[in-house]
Amino acid sequence: MTHTETAPQGAVEAPTWEPRIVGFLCYWCSYTGADGAGSARIKYTPNVDIVKVMCSGRIDPELVTMAFSRGADGVLVLGCHPGDCHYINGNHKTMVRMPLLRRILEDFGIEPQRFRHDWVSAAEGEKFSRLVTEMTEQIRALGPLDWPKRMRDLGVGHGAGLGPWGEDHR
Amino acid sequence: MDLQPSAQSEADNGNTASPRVGVFICHCGGNISDVVDVGQVSQESSRLPGVVCSMTHMFFCSDPGQNLIEQKIREEKLTRVIVAACSPSLHEMTFRRCVARAGLNQYLFEHCNIREQVSWVISDKKQATRKAGRLIRAAASRAVHLKPLQRRRIPIHPSALIIGGGVAGLTTARDLAQSGIQVTLIESSPFLGGRLASLHRIYPTGMKARDVLGPLIEEVAGNPNVTIYTNAQLENASGFIGDFRTTIRVTPRGVTSECLNPQEVIDACPEESLDPFNLGLSKRKAIYKPYDGCYPPVPAIDWRTCTKCGVCFEVAGGKGIDLEEQPKLVEVRSGVIVLAVGLNTYPVRHAEYGFGEFPEVVTLHQMNRLLDPQGPTGGLLMVNGRQVRSVGFMHCVGSLQRKGIHKPMRDGKINEYCSRVCCTTTVHTAAELKERFPEMQIYDFHEDIRTYGRKHEDYYDAVSQKGVVFIRFDPLRPPRVQRDPKGKAPLVVTTFDRLTFGEELEVPLDLLVLAQGFVARDMSKLVDLYRCSVGSDRFLMEVHPKLRPVEMAASGLFLSGSVQGPMDISESTAAAAAAAAKAASMIRTGVIDLDPFVARVEENLCSGCKVCLTVCPFQAISRDEARGIAVVNEALCMGCGTCAASCPSNAIFQDGFEDAQVKAEVLALLEEPSLVAAAD
Repeated sequence: MTHTETAPQGAVEAPTWEPRIVGFLCYWCSYTGADGAGSARIKYTPNVDIVKVMCSGRIDPELVTMAFSRGADGVLVLGCHPGDCHYINGNHKTMVRMPLLRRILEDFGIEPQRFRHDWVSAAEGEKFSRLVTEMTEQIRALGPLDWPKRMRDLGVGHGAGLGPWGEDHR
Repeated sequence: MDLQPSAQSEADNGNTASPRVGVFICHCGGNISDVVDVGQVSQESSRLPGVVCSMTHMFFCSDPGQNLIEQKIREEKLTRVIVAACSPSLHEMTFRRCVARAGLNQYLFEHCNIREQVSWVISDKKQATRKAGRLIRAAASRAVHLKPLQRRRIPIHPSALIIGGGVAGLTTARDLAQSGIQVTLIESSPFLGGRLASLHRIYPTGMKARDVLGPLIEEVAGNPNVTIYTNAQLENASGFIGDFRTTIRVTPRGVTSECLNPQEVIDACPEESLDPFNLGLSKRKAIYKPYDGCYPPVPAIDWRTCTKCGVCFEVAGGKGIDLEEQPKLVEVRSGVIVLAVGLNTYPVRHAEYGFGEFPEVVTLHQMNRLLDPQGPTGGLLMVNGRQVRSVGFMHCVGSLQRKGIHKPMRDGKINEYCSRVCCTTTVHTAAELKERFPEMQIYDFHEDIRTYGRKHEDYYDAVSQKGVVFIRFDPLRPPRVQRDPKGKAPLVVTTFDRLTFGEELEVPLDLLVLAQGFVARDMSKLVDLYRCSVGSDRFLMEVHPKLRPVEMAASGLFLSGSVQGPMDISESTAAAAAAAAKAASMIRTGVIDLDPFVARVEENLCSGCKVCLTVCPFQAISRDEARGIAVVNEALCMGCGTCAASCPSNAIFQDGFEDAQVKAEVLALLEEPSLVAAAD
């Protein structure tokens, strides 16, 4: 599948730019759901690279910001449906953290479409593939994020190559 | 914290100065290699930092494939192994064992999924190859940071606590006790038998319910390995798999076996209330037995009705009656816990299909009591002193509910599920009616009907042939129940019949039976004490519906019977036997082997703020007040990592998912230049 024809205006100088999306998936529901999409041979865009965690409760907001600061164009966070958590309620913590994180990310100029938090059960391979394709197309329309450059232009934080406590991310 | 995904990382555990990584890429017989250019990926992988060996094979999961990995680990002195193949859910354990055979710690192995998440979902070969390369690079980067881990081993107390004395709990108790395991069975009511005791005849054998129950209770109560507490409520619980401590509150039954003339005592009691055993169809005394042949055979006192007037005491001559005994607390120690609390019937609303408005509307469970020769009417089918000549059955009352049509339950939810058991029970009951009262007119109102199960279709065929009239209504226009204005019969049901293309029918009836569905019990105390997972339908949830159907996520807890969802007796006992087998095999091993992905507190960094205590779903973290730091109980920790994500001091690490490991993976994924070559 090529996306040369559908390249957005924002990326005219590089028609082959592909969004890079990091997906943090809990093992019990969402990762298994993604496996289900594979078993059913449902095709979707190759842009989301999956990082497995045991529970979406493990997803430290810092991991999300780090992904953006190191060049991700989008971050996808998927966990079990509320009430279906393998660890009783680990995903409830995610449910509280992610909306807060979204607001902070927006303050830092990251469009809401670039950060997505949703539920995918072990049986929802079809939903997983739809989410991935949808998100890829939305981010493709937005163009590259290049958060480090945005921040560098503003002269702050991660963009200057520094972490929140001054650690060197370069 | 080191974020550099290099082989020279300081985050390595020091067992090797520079890790030697081996990458093994599987063709999966073409499943992967038809789409992914595994040769190219292997070449690229060989240039990754720390990688000293990279190769492909047709099937790494095969014996020759595994032998090759073992051989390479020895030859190349590998300290990290990556297999890029199918999903870890399939072969992660296979390769962990393979790595362990070669003398390497099994947690220095990293599985990379390039089949389910690459070759099966991407058709473009270049894109698939690129993605596979990216994922392997990330796995290699993560692998460098892996540390050897040991699986946890916890000794297990050779005993089981079974909560619930219905057919499921009894079956599990029998099986466990027969295999020599100490069993404590607790039942919240004063008598064993649960819902089964109040049923009449049960499919598929048509046996009397109590003929099934009686011998089962005998086997349990007669086994010296079993301790039974009736009238027992959960009070408190602590501990974890291998060593649970459960405190129960045992309410006195007021009567002991020393009472020599129990029937006279019952007859003398002046207080009466509606009998819940007969579902309110009759009354019972404050001192009562639900039915002859109940277990324990000694009567019990219903303390809500008893006024402590002392008549029973006088009639019994002061022997075997104690009205002042206090409840006592008992601590039960057990290695595992089996939850067998069953379910409830759907509480039919007032005026739902005329229920509560008209005495001629009863539930299917009440109908069971009416048909029982030992029931409130002695098996005569009379309503208001009138012999019943026509009966209607209404299916799916409280099941298959729809938003906007059905009112939600108290918790705001509607019961969208099928209660499964009611169709066959209804048809089975209709068959008995036709047998006992061949002249009776029987109508069956359903939206959908399925007597699923082996040989159960025969009931449907049989009653169809015997003249039961099946009427299929439209769920969007449910039937209405009224008094018959013409006075021909007590009730008239007005309904659209889809089988006759929407004709409106008026059916006069003497009796309408509502096939009520099932709902989960209020298990809030249980859920709270044992930290159970609850499904959106309020029933308890298993780890995996197919692979681990009777185990709960919290280790050491098993599900027995319809606590998991509506089941008939056969299904309940099958699930109960499965729970017994699972529990027994766990107890028999003597120790429990758990994943090592537990949380660890770095004492020097911990400020003792207690944030981790509040987020832990398993209450596995406590605060050591003397040292002012958090402490993880490894036996309770299930390894979700929620605490690691919450710690403001970054003082908690999750083994196997440390920040350094996850970050190295993310960084490696993003290493690739943003502008990729055109997919030409």
